Amino acid sequence: MATVHDEIDTWLAADLHGELSDKERDALHAHLVDCAACRKTHQEIKTMNKILEETLTKEKADPAFEQRMLAGFRSRVHQRGGLVKLLVSVMRLRAAQIAAVAAGLLGLVQIGRMITGEPVTAPRERERYVGEQFAAQPSQVPASRAAESGALAKSDEVAAGRSRNLPLKGPPPPAPAESKDEERAGAEVERTIVTGSNIPTAAEEGAQASVQETAPALANRKLIRNATVELEIVSFDNAVQKITAFANEEHGYVATTDSEKQANGKLKGQIVVKVLPENLDRFLQKIRSLGELKNQTLGTEDVTKAYFDTDARLKNAHVMEQRLIDMLKTKTGKVSDLLLVEKELGRVREEIEKMQGELKYWDSQVQFATVTISLTEKDLEEPAAFLLKERAQLFLYTPDVEKIYNETKSLASAKVQITNAQLNRDYSGRVSAQLSMLIAPEESDAVIGRVKGFGRVENFQMQTQRLAQGGSGMSENAKTKRDKVELNITISREEQEQAFQQTSLRIRTSSVDERAKELRALAEKQGGRVRSSTFISDPNGREVASVSLRVAMKNYPALMQSLNSLGRVENVSVQRQDRADAQIDESNAPADVSIQVYSQGNIVTEESGLLATLRRTLAQSASAIMWSLRMIGVAIAFLAPWAIAIVGIVWIARRAIRARSKL
Amino acid sequence: MDASEREQYRAAIHGDREAFEMIIRTHSRPLFAIAYGILQSREEAEDVVQDSLVKAWKTRWRVRDPEKLPAWLATIARHKARDVFRKRRTVPFSEQLIEPVEPEPANTTALDQQLQSALAALPELHRAALTLRYFEEMDYRTIENTLGLTNGALRGILGRALASMREQLRPALAAMD
Repeated sequence: MATVHDEIDTWLAADLHGELSDKERDALHAHLVDCAACRKTHQEIKTMNKILEETLTKEKADPAFEQRMLAGFRSRVHQRGGLVKLLVSVMRLRAAQIAAVAAGLLGLVQIGRMITGEPVTAPRERERYVGEQFAAQPSQVPASRAAESGALAKSDEVAAGRSRNLPLKGPPPPAPAESKDEERAGAEVERTIVTGSNIPTAAEEGAQASVQETAPALANRKLIRNATVELEIVSFDNAVQKITAFANEEHGYVATTDSEKQANGKLKGQIVVKVLPENLDRFLQKIRSLGELKNQTLGTEDVTKAYFDTDARLKNAHVMEQRLIDMLKTKTGKVSDLLLVEKELGRVREEIEKMQGELKYWDSQVQFATVTISLTEKDLEEPAAFLLKERAQLFLYTPDVEKIYNETKSLASAKVQITNAQLNRDYSGRVSAQLSMLIAPEESDAVIGRVKGFGRVENFQMQTQRLAQGGSGMSENAKTKRDKVELNITISREEQEQAFQQTSLRIRTSSVDERAKELRALAEKQGGRVRSSTFISDPNGREVASVSLRVAMKNYPALMQSLNSLGRVENVSVQRQDRADAQIDESNAPADVSIQVYSQGNIVTEESGLLATLRRTLAQSASAIMWSLRMIGVAIAFLAPWAIAIVGIVWIARRAIRARSKL
Repeated sequence: MDASEREQYRAAIHGDREAFEMIIRTHSRPLFAIAYGILQSREEAEDVVQDSLVKAWKTRWRVRDPEKLPAWLATIARHKARDVFRKRRTVPFSEQLIEPVEPEPANTTALDQQLQSALAALPELHRAALTLRYFEEMDYRTIENTLGLTNGALRGILGRALASMREQLRPALAAMD
């Protein structure tokens, strides 16, 4: 039992704490029975255990401890994560997604409205406005003029925000309200354009002229009628006379006439006639008989609304004027006030005058219908004369461009005018010249003949144009005049001339070099010139000589004949450029001949056969392998740093986590 | 440890706040016991527990094995308490005057004071083991788990602690008998 005795404190503590197994407890109790010292210790420990329990129980956390911990935790760790999580889970719902998209779109639209400044409630306002108009219209039509204008006056005043009681303080009719009124009036004006006379205009106008009170809707209408007529007549003066007569018959008058004489002596012009509206249709019928009717429009403008608006405003202004006059008469108040009244009176009177003028204008317009007649004499388009314009152009080929250029220039005289002359020399020493001249018609043939003699002429073109003057179309008795002839000359060196005919052929022979030499000799004999020649000899023993020649067309057949003596002629191809409308001196035109003299060489080349094929295949596979190796190297070079970095980061992170979790 | 507890620990580690709050409810008392054992001041111990919980929440991702969560919490609390304890020792004399460390309870007896000083003389681990035993009446196995001790080590620790205290309190104990 030595162990128990040695570690008596441990045993006793475990016993007190109820951590001894039954067997251990028996052993301890057996020892305590034997050992007095341990019994004493047992006693002490028991006492101390009691003290400890008593003391430490007091120090235990109170019942509200957990709540305090939780509260502290919540206040120090914000619920942010939870909120975010909530938001995320909400956004997973399809409905929430659609709602969010809709909200976003709405927001965008709203922002767009704010940027463009469009009022959000605009549609509603417009609707209300339209409603008002519909409500106002029926009352206007049947009511008598006075009642109507009264109502309008009231509404006008309300719209203008003016007060009857305070005429002085009231501001002048605000511009926006007025303009709005006018706009409305403008909207009311109906513009009808008809080509026939399918509205009962005469009856309507008559009713308006005679009885205003009894007639229904149309009686009060203020209609401005006007017509435009376009006529083609034989004689202008005759037509004017007749129109004047017709106007007088219909109690109208000719307001204005104007006429214009064309270059071919024909006249055209415009007549404005005023007739009573009820006679308009009859008048139009009459003038139609004057000539051929080209176009006719008949228009009616309804100014009723604008007219009565102005009328009502005028009445208001009159009332205002009277009030101001009364105010001046009583003459109370300060001088400055009186001055203000005076000023206001002036303004009102000015307004009255303006409105009266407007009404008068409308009255006059309504009283008479306006007919605008456009008259044109027949055959106005016939030309007065014709002008014959000739334009010539030619290309000159010559060995000495500059000399010909100067000779051409020296042709200038009183009848030959040089308008443009230029000599071009480009970097490669090629020379060309361009001349333009105007030649008097009688001299033209002679001058052109001389120019043609300067060299080989190609592509001579002559263009004649008959221009009608003072009109278009045909005329039997118009004169024809010949204008100056315009001549454009282009001078180039012979070599630059394009070959008239191009021939290419091949000659097979065994001795290329020799045959090429013979070929040159043959060409020279026929007056040809060698333009270029090459000689190629390849490793397979193949020899090719290319010779390019130019000969005159007249020597071409002889040259071709002589070529047969050199060897077998193969692959002959001839290309001829037939230029339409070009005047070409064919016998002197150049012909190009390009000749290839070649020998066959070795039949079997080095680069064929089994061995060569094998070698080529091997070389190709080797290069393919090298290419892939290079690509792999590039890939590694790209990826290696990233791989190293990632491995390093992972290693460091793992170490850090391990170190922290150990703490 | 049953499955539901482990599931709770796992959820807490993965950021489930409710699970963590449940752990606060069940585990803050043992933490308080540990902190008190080291500091022997209820106010300071409470602060330590509070700080430890916040720190645990913020660094929960470090726990890889959910079963070790209680032990890990205890470790944090012990570290925190030790920090506070160390700081308390280095507080300058003048500051100590300004804020008195702990007002002595009126009913403190001479024996209590002796007991406190005897406790204070024990190693920190012994004190923590004692408070866990006497505050929470935990069995040895749980205490060993909480403090990260090997099986059976606690019996020796508590035995030595009690023996050392018994030595110091012997006069008083003798007087009591």
